[in-house]
Amino acid sequence: MTETELGSATRPGGTGEPMIVLEGVEKWFGHFQALAGVDLVVGRQEVVVVAGPSGGGKSTLIRCINRLEKHDRGRIVVDGIELSDDIRHIQEVRRETGMVFQQFNLFPHLTVLENITLAPRQVRRWPKKRAQQKANELLLRVHIPEQAHKYPGQLSGGQQQRAAIARALAMEPKIMLFDEPTSALDPEMIKEVLDVMEELASSGMTMIVVTHEMGFARAVADRMVLMADGEIVEVGTPEHFFVNPREERTKQFLSQIL
Amino acid sequence: MDTRMLEPLAVPEVAPPERSLSPGRWVKENLFSTWFNGVLTVLLAALLGWALYKIGRFVFVDARWEIVEVNLTNILVFRFPRDELWRLWAGMFVLAAAFGVGAGVAARLKREEEGGGGPGTTSPLTTLRRLGPLIAVAGVFLWFAKSVEGTLLVLAIAAVWGVARFAGLQIPPRRARWAGGGVLLAIVLAYVIVTSFGGVGWSEGWGGLLLTVFLAAAGIAISFPLGVLLALGRRSSLPAVRIVCITYIELVRGVPLITLLFLGAFMLGFFLPPGSDTPSLETRALVALVLFTAAYVAEIVRGGLQAVPRDQTEAAQALGLSPLKTTRLIVLPQALRAVIPALVGQFISLFKDTSLVFIIGLTELLAVSELITKQPEFLAEGLIIETLVFAGFVYWGGSYWMSRESQRLERRLGVGER
Repeated sequence: MTETELGSATRPGGTGEPMIVLEGVEKWFGHFQALAGVDLVVGRQEVVVVAGPSGGGKSTLIRCINRLEKHDRGRIVVDGIELSDDIRHIQEVRRETGMVFQQFNLFPHLTVLENITLAPRQVRRWPKKRAQQKANELLLRVHIPEQAHKYPGQLSGGQQQRAAIARALAMEPKIMLFDEPTSALDPEMIKEVLDVMEELASSGMTMIVVTHEMGFARAVADRMVLMADGEIVEVGTPEHFFVNPREERTKQFLSQIL
Repeated sequence: MDTRMLEPLAVPEVAPPERSLSPGRWVKENLFSTWFNGVLTVLLAALLGWALYKIGRFVFVDARWEIVEVNLTNILVFRFPRDELWRLWAGMFVLAAAFGVGAGVAARLKREEEGGGGPGTTSPLTTLRRLGPLIAVAGVFLWFAKSVEGTLLVLAIAAVWGVARFAGLQIPPRRARWAGGGVLLAIVLAYVIVTSFGGVGWSEGWGGLLLTVFLAAAGIAISFPLGVLLALGRRSSLPAVRIVCITYIELVRGVPLITLLFLGAFMLGFFLPPGSDTPSLETRALVALVLFTAAYVAEIVRGGLQAVPRDQTEAAQALGLSPLKTTRLIVLPQALRAVIPALVGQFISLFKDTSLVFIIGLTELLAVSELITKQPEFLAEGLIIETLVFAGFVYWGGSYWMSRESQRLERRLGVGER
């Protein structure tokens, strides 16, 4: 695939098969327009990193993909399912989509193991044993197998975020959405979380990552997206994006952050 | 780099410096550090001593407790037919067995949760301390009863509880979910033993402490779920549900409990379709207590629901949990935990407010305490102080026990906050 092809927002990377399709998506909060007509197609197994100034609509964009926010105009199709008011479609999309939040959002009244097994048991109706086996595998994968029986409040921030990633993965999602997963972490804990995400990306997971970690973006992203004022300003491969950006807005943003 | 940050749990704990004082120095530092504090200490000690002397003298010397001694059965059950008292004992045996098994299962679950299948951490002594206030009340009752038979029966109930708890400890956790149903079934069984097959229905002659405890227990058991539903309804996105709940809560909270009791007692007939049987006075009193408490429970629970961050709901939704499961498994447990103190406070209020039903003509604990002073042999003897002190002691025992259980529950559930 050539560079110009990857420079298009609507031509998917990864395997080339579209996994997430956004067409003219608009979103208002009162009189404030958070998304002003976003077109983006993410391919299967593709990793897209979304960057941009705060208030630019990055979080709103990925929160629309699993319907934590309802879009006001346009279409969103996830793995062939169009998001509408139909609650069954929404639940179907949410089952296929894992999400990791800035503040981890682990359930404080449940142990790490219970946090992870909750959704598979309640939503997928797995028997307890199978869910626990899966949870233990995942805890090994995010390198905190010894924390299974602790409560989130007893873990460090980095450990909590890795537990949150394991919780999302337990549903065996096809897509993972990351909403600034390292922004609430102390500097020395960022790497342990990014390492887990990098391993996940190389395993072929379809990912959209909102982050300010440009080192991670350069190493892992298939495509970079710059969002500002509710619009996609520029799309491109990391090489193109960091070395040779087209848009003035991108250059400005990069000069501030790098 | 500060490596301790990576392993926050590995920091060795250093004990704070110890500071021990000899008794003499302690007294000097804490009670007589300045001349002003010295004077205060002497004055307060005198006041305290005088009060203790007065109370002690009343309780152990002056008080004529024979009015309580003679009326012990009246205070406990009032008009409950004496021929049927065995039903109450039988009911208590059933409850002791069921709650014993429940306690055993709970203790084992807790132990396995904390990892390690070692010996139980709760000793019989802890249990005795937990039930302290109730044991004190039972002890005073037995002291007044001076009945060998009664003492033996109470000890037998305690023994059944102990044996049942031991049995409960043997039940493996995977069968534990049956225990809850078993306890519920036992409560129904105890109720049936007392009321059916020639027994006495609760509105056909229950009185005294029996009626008080029943009104409080049934009131709590019904008003709690009702209050939770009202709280959820008040936050519903359906306007009709929301408006009904808000109207109900605000109406009931705006009216004194006594008004509700009077309304139930004297005006219910106007609201019921003509020709239908009017429910008994006891039923009406219970309904009033439940309706009143549910409104307060609803507001307490709503406070808890608001304390759970929106993030929690979003995380549950993102995992694909349905709204119902999100509420039941994520939001409610956190909300209820946050409001345990207020909730138990409301239930303690309910326990004591059951005494108000005496103004619509029911003879619960407080009413009996007043009534027995009018018996011919005690009339005009001025023994109301004795009976009120005794009733107060019984209320205190129940309330203090509930308060301590609430603190225990908080500690137990607060484990994640450490």
